[in-house]
Amino acid sequence: MSTDVAPALAPAELDQAAPRRIMIGSELYSRIVEAYYDEAETLDALRFAEWTEWLAKDVRYTCPQRLTRSLKDQDKSIDRRVMHFDENHGTLSARVRRLRGNSAFAEDPPSRTRRLITNIRITEADEPGAYAVRSYFLLTRSRFENANLALMSGERRDIVRDLGDRFELASREIILDQAVLGMPNLAIFL
Amino acid sequence: MLTRTTPTLSDGTPIEDLVRPATREVELRVLSDREIYELEMERVFGKTWLLLGHASEIPNAGDFVMRDMGNDSVIVARDRDGSIHVSLNVCPHRGMRVCLADAGNTPVHKCIYHGWAFKPNGEFVGSPVAEEKMHGEILPKSELGLRKARVHIYAGLIFATWNIEGPSFDEFLGDMKWYYDMIFNRTKGGWEVLGPPQRFIVNANWKAAGEQSAADGFHTLTLHRWLDEMFGNGGSELTSTMYGVEVGSEHGHALRCQSLSKKFARAKDFDNGSMSIEERWNILPAPGCTPEMLDEVRANLTPEQMEQLMTNPPQVGGMFPNVLLACIYAPQPDGRILGSMALHTYIPRGPDKLEFVNWVFCESGTSQEDRDVMLKNTIFMLGTSGLVEQDDSDTWPHMTLSARGTQGRKATMKYQAINANPPPKNWRGPGLVYDGFTKDDTQWNWWMYWRELMLSAD
Repeated sequence: MSTDVAPALAPAELDQAAPRRIMIGSELYSRIVEAYYDEAETLDALRFAEWTEWLAKDVRYTCPQRLTRSLKDQDKSIDRRVMHFDENHGTLSARVRRLRGNSAFAEDPPSRTRRLITNIRITEADEPGAYAVRSYFLLTRSRFENANLALMSGERRDIVRDLGDRFELASREIILDQAVLGMPNLAIFL
Repeated sequence: MLTRTTPTLSDGTPIEDLVRPATREVELRVLSDREIYELEMERVFGKTWLLLGHASEIPNAGDFVMRDMGNDSVIVARDRDGSIHVSLNVCPHRGMRVCLADAGNTPVHKCIYHGWAFKPNGEFVGSPVAEEKMHGEILPKSELGLRKARVHIYAGLIFATWNIEGPSFDEFLGDMKWYYDMIFNRTKGGWEVLGPPQRFIVNANWKAAGEQSAADGFHTLTLHRWLDEMFGNGGSELTSTMYGVEVGSEHGHALRCQSLSKKFARAKDFDNGSMSIEERWNILPAPGCTPEMLDEVRANLTPEQMEQLMTNPPQVGGMFPNVLLACIYAPQPDGRILGSMALHTYIPRGPDKLEFVNWVFCESGTSQEDRDVMLKNTIFMLGTSGLVEQDDSDTWPHMTLSARGTQGRKATMKYQAINANPPPKNWRGPGLVYDGFTKDDTQWNWWMYWRELMLSAD
C-alpha cells in the first residue's frame, strides 16, 4: 500500500504533518474511485436501500447554504447554521423509507438523474484507514416533459473508511454553487 | 379607502369575475396570466404589509440583508441608533442595484457604478468629487436618497409596505393579532432566527403557494399521507387531526387551531375543565416552548389566550399575501415533544415562478441542545429537503402548467367545502371562527381579499 502514498501537493506553508496524498493512478485511488462510480449508479438507478449500505452507522451528511457575500467576506459564503441537509444514518434511512413507500410524490414519478463525479483528490484522513475524498459533481435532473434539465453543481468533501472488501461513507459535506437553488426541492440525494 | 372601479383585463374579462362568490370558484388563469401578475405587483404587493425577515438577522448597527418586496429588491438595514430601515435597492442616479450581497455590514451603502452613497436609513450621503456636483443642484440632497418603505417591527419580525398612508400593521392583522400574539409574542425574548433562510426556485405562480397557506387542511390527507404511512398506526391518524378550529379574517389571514385532545393521547383530558394551566403545560407546553417558560408566557398572554394554548393552539397557517407559518409539535424518540418553528415567504418571480424563502426559528430562551434538535427536525420536515414540503413544491408547478392551457385556464379552482357550524361554545378568541373538520372557508376569504385588492384603484 505504501506505493500508493506520496507527499501531498499542498501549499508550502503547510508543515510536514500535512495529509499525505493518494496518487492518481494508484491501486488505492482506483478502488476509491470505483466506489464513487458505484454510488453514483446506485442513486441514479433508484436503488436507495442499497445506497444506505454504503453509509457508516455514524455517518454525518450535511449541505450548508451558500450566500452571496463580498470578496472580503468570502469566509462567510459557506453558512452552516441552517443547512439544506443535516442528517445522520437514522434520518437518511427514514428518507429512504419514505421514497420506498406509496406516497412520496416529490419523487413519484421519479426524476431521471445522472451524477457525474470528477476532479477526485484523495488524502489520508486523521483516522487510520480513512481517507478524505474531495470531488466535484454535476447532477442533472429531468422531470416529466420538461426538456430543460435542472442542474446542480458542487463539491463533496467526504471521509470514507476502508473496510478491506469495500468502503463506507463516514461523512459528507456538500458545498453547492447556488445561493438560490434552481430546483424546487432536494428530494434527491447528493 | 379603496375606490371601487370596474376594471377589465385586455380581453374584456371583468377582474371581479375571476373570483366568483356565487359558486366559490376561482378561474385557473389567475395562476398563469401575465397581465394579472403585473396588476398584482401594484395592487397586492404594492399595498399590503410584507414580511422581510427578523430583527435577529441584523443585530448590529450597519448590518444589512438584501430582500424582496414583490418583484423589487430592497435593503433591510440597521442604523446606528438601532432602528431598522427598508429602502428600495435602486440607485436614484442611474438605477443600478446599490446592494449586491445577501448580507453584510457597512456604515455606508455605496453604488459601485458612479459612487453615490447612502446611509443605512436610505439618506443620501453624497457623490464622489463633491465640488464637481455629479448630483447637480436641481434637487436637494434630501430628495436624492433611496426610496424608503414604511416599516413595522412586530415581535421582532420585520414588515414593510409601499402603502405609506395606508392601514397600520395592526389594522392589517385585525382580529387575527390575538392569535398571532400567542405564537410570536408569548415570551419576553421572543423568537430568534437560527440562520439565513433557505432559498430555492419553484416553477409555479406565487398564489399556488399563497392560497395553500390560508390553512388548506384537506391537502394534508392526500398529498402528505406518507405521514400516516410512516408514523401512523394504520392510516387514520391524519384524519383525526383535521378536527379543530380554523380562524381567519376578511384580510385573508388564517390559522389552523388543532384540538390537542384529539391529536395527543397525553392531552385527552385537556378539554374537560378539570386540569389547571400548569398541569397541562407541564404535560405538553406550547410547540417550541419548554415547561420552564410557563411563567414568562403567562406574563405575556391573557388567561383566555393561555386556555386557548392548552386546548386549541394555532399551529399552521399564514398571513396574506405570501407568508406561511408553522409552529408545530415535534415528538422526539425519548417521548419529549419539542417544536418546529418556521416562516416562509413566496416571492413572485414572474407569472410562473416563485422563490421559496424558509426561515427557521426558536424561542430565544431555548437551550443549545434543544435548538440543535429542533433545527434538525425542521430541516427534515420543512423547506428545501423537508419531507413534507418537497411534495408541495412539486405540486404547484403542475397547477401552473394547467393554467397555461387554452382550455385549462378556463377551468376553476373550487372552494365549496363550507363550514356551517357555529363557533364552538366558550370560544375565547375573535375573528371568523370555523369549528369542526377542516373546510375551505379560510382559503376562500384569502381569495376574496385578493379580489378586493385587485379591484382597488392604484
